[in-house]
Amino acid sequence: MKNNSLIKDVELFLDDKPSVYALRSKARLVVEKVFFSKKDEAWKYTDVREIINKDFEIVADNDGCKNSCACGNECNECDDVFIKIKFCNGRIHIEDYNLPKGIKVVVLPEVLYEGEYKKYLYGTFNIEEHPFAALNGVYLEQGVVIEVEKGVKNLKPLVICYNSDDSENRMFNIHNMIILGKGSELEIVEDYKNSSESCYLMNVVNEFFLDNDSVCRHYKVQKESFNAYHTVLNGVKVYENANYKQFYLAKGSKLSRNETLINLEKVNANAEVYSMYIGKSGCLTDITTNINHKVKNTSSTQYAKAVLEENSKACFQGKVRIEKDAIRSVGNQLHKALYLGDGAELNCKPELEIYADDVKCSHGASSGEIDGEQLFYLTSRGIGIDDAKKMLIDAHLEEILQFIENEQIKERFFL
Amino acid sequence: MLKKPLLEIKNLFAKVGDKEIIKGLNLVINEGEVHAIMGPNGAGKSSLSYILSGKDGYEVTSGEILFKGKNLLELNTEERAREGMFLSLQYPTEIPGVVVSNFLKHSLNAVRKYKGEEELDTVAFMKLLRLKASELGISPEMLKRFVNVGFSGGEKKRFETLQMALLKPVFSILDEIDSGLDIDALKTVSEGVNALRREDNSFLVITNYQRLLSYIVPDVIHIFADGKIIKSGDKELAIELEKNGYASFLNEEKNEE
Ligand SMILES: Nc1ncnc2c1ncn2[C@@H]1O[C@H](COP(=O)(O)OP(=O)(O)O)[C@@H](O)[C@H]1O
Ligand SMILES: [Mg+2]
Repeated sequence: MKNNSLIKDVELFLDDKPSVYALRSKARLVVEKVFFSKKDEAWKYTDVREIINKDFEIVADNDGCKNSCACGNECNECDDVFIKIKFCNGRIHIEDYNLPKGIKVVVLPEVLYEGEYKKYLYGTFNIEEHPFAALNGVYLEQGVVIEVEKGVKNLKPLVICYNSDDSENRMFNIHNMIILGKGSELEIVEDYKNSSESCYLMNVVNEFFLDNDSVCRHYKVQKESFNAYHTVLNGVKVYENANYKQFYLAKGSKLSRNETLINLEKVNANAEVYSMYIGKSGCLTDITTNINHKVKNTSSTQYAKAVLEENSKACFQGKVRIEKDAIRSVGNQLHKALYLGDGAELNCKPELEIYADDVKCSHGASSGEIDGEQLFYLTSRGIGIDDAKKMLIDAHLEEILQFIENEQIKERFFL
Repeated sequence: MLKKPLLEIKNLFAKVGDKEIIKGLNLVINEGEVHAIMGPNGAGKSSLSYILSGKDGYEVTSGEILFKGKNLLELNTEERAREGMFLSLQYPTEIPGVVVSNFLKHSLNAVRKYKGEEELDTVAFMKLLRLKASELGISPEMLKRFVNVGFSGGEKKRFETLQMALLKPVFSILDEIDSGLDIDALKTVSEGVNALRREDNSFLVITNYQRLLSYIVPDVIHIFADGKIIKSGDKELAIELEKNGYASFLNEEKNEE
């Protein structure tokens, strides 16, 4: 597929350092060579041609966003409850983070050139297999690295806000790395917000490293412009006894793909991916999850709840691969859809690749419409029909929301 | 004193799907009155309650229903509820994912708003809810559960009564509120209902058993069969019915024809 418009000559911070330049060049080669082929199974249901044909302006800025920027301060009221990192129109908003002991935040460029974190870069996936992550790599510059030190727990949740109030026709590439030391715990919220109608590409890579006995709860709330494109790759490595949990809400975006690639590296590693999405008319939501069980006694859960409005499109691909040594592993997958109108299209593709004995795997899918008896019950109590429908939609999602224990975080997920 | 009619059903015919289910029903219920409807299973009693609350699929083919002098059939389900009509369901619907307190807050505030009253905030609402719930022997724990999910038969009926106590309807239809209740639950529910009786509100009590009517004492009893009322009377009628069964009344009607 032609992709000339995606590759642009822009000057990036640290281009003068050969090692950094080489990283970007490698990614560029991938994009130039094999950006998309028709045969790419992983993208079978998600047609990205319209993204490729757009002529986006690249956001690049070695300075980051200044305090004087006009970006929204929507989550000011929760400053006491959360540690907040902001990206304003694709650039990190440099500020004094006032961090508690045991957590470090550094901006990505500090890591690219040298230092202890460099070894983590591209540690969770291979860019040759992930076209949008490769595209992200071409412009590798913006992002943060967050490290929670060994044994550190009970931190305030950390929020990354992606505000984009000046986003028309722009492409944002951000690469974050989240590193959890042994026995540490972190709640991290990604808040993608854009209430405008602008068309832009939010192209983000997150890499998570969960050392032994650590716990990471990753919350992602995506409420973006209905003309936006959103492509995200979450690469996750989970070590012994560690637990990665993702809660994802997708609402908005003309086309959105949330891909999560999890490697359960050591025994008793566990991953849970919970997704809730509202398919809007004319929009496509793609949730792709790949979980590799590499060793014994690893477990994974994927549970998705969809609300599909008329003429919406959705794709749920969940792959569980249980390798030869991964005996006594458990992999469960479930997708439940609520159809609100005609013409919605859902491609639900579970894939189980099992090479070990004595494993427990399951997958299931169900779908239905709003229940007439329930609707009658609510309206017969004076609740207006639209409110009643909304309550039943919320109820559909509640089955997942109820797993979110932190009430302040849960509120962010309300529609 | 001249009584004011609250609900007037005039020569009503109705069907569900292709099936004719109400066949020439006449009934007037005045303010402050309690009417009981008794009738065999399948007679169409629940259907009548759905027609009165405007459920989808129940279609009035001819006749008229006036509620507070207004054409009831022009209103949709939520408008009827806001006007003060309440149906306690024979089989209350389970709604997984909707928490009782949240449901009741939405419901009460929708009705209050319609009446031009101020909506209650969460604190004021919860205070009111806890009070009303304790009067009906409903535990605070139940208010956190999903609507009707996992409730016992008795809990479901108490919960219907709680809704009635909150919404203060002017006209309540109790569809077999006694079914599935043990004697203690029956007492609590009946006391709850009796506490709501006022001079200006009315009840239509649907039941199969005379027993309920010794707790909720009606002013008029109707025997309902094959889509219409075949006999009306006072509470003696219920006792007679309990003794002889519906068959005698049905035969009586046949002989008259
Ligand atoms: N939604 C429906 N569709 C088809 N038939 C129905 C429906 N609801 C009720 N009926 C039928 O109408 C008749 C009356 O039912 P119902 O009103 O429940 O009676 P009752 O409450 O007096 O026992 C029954 O024969 C029942 O099967
Ligand atoms: Mg019935």
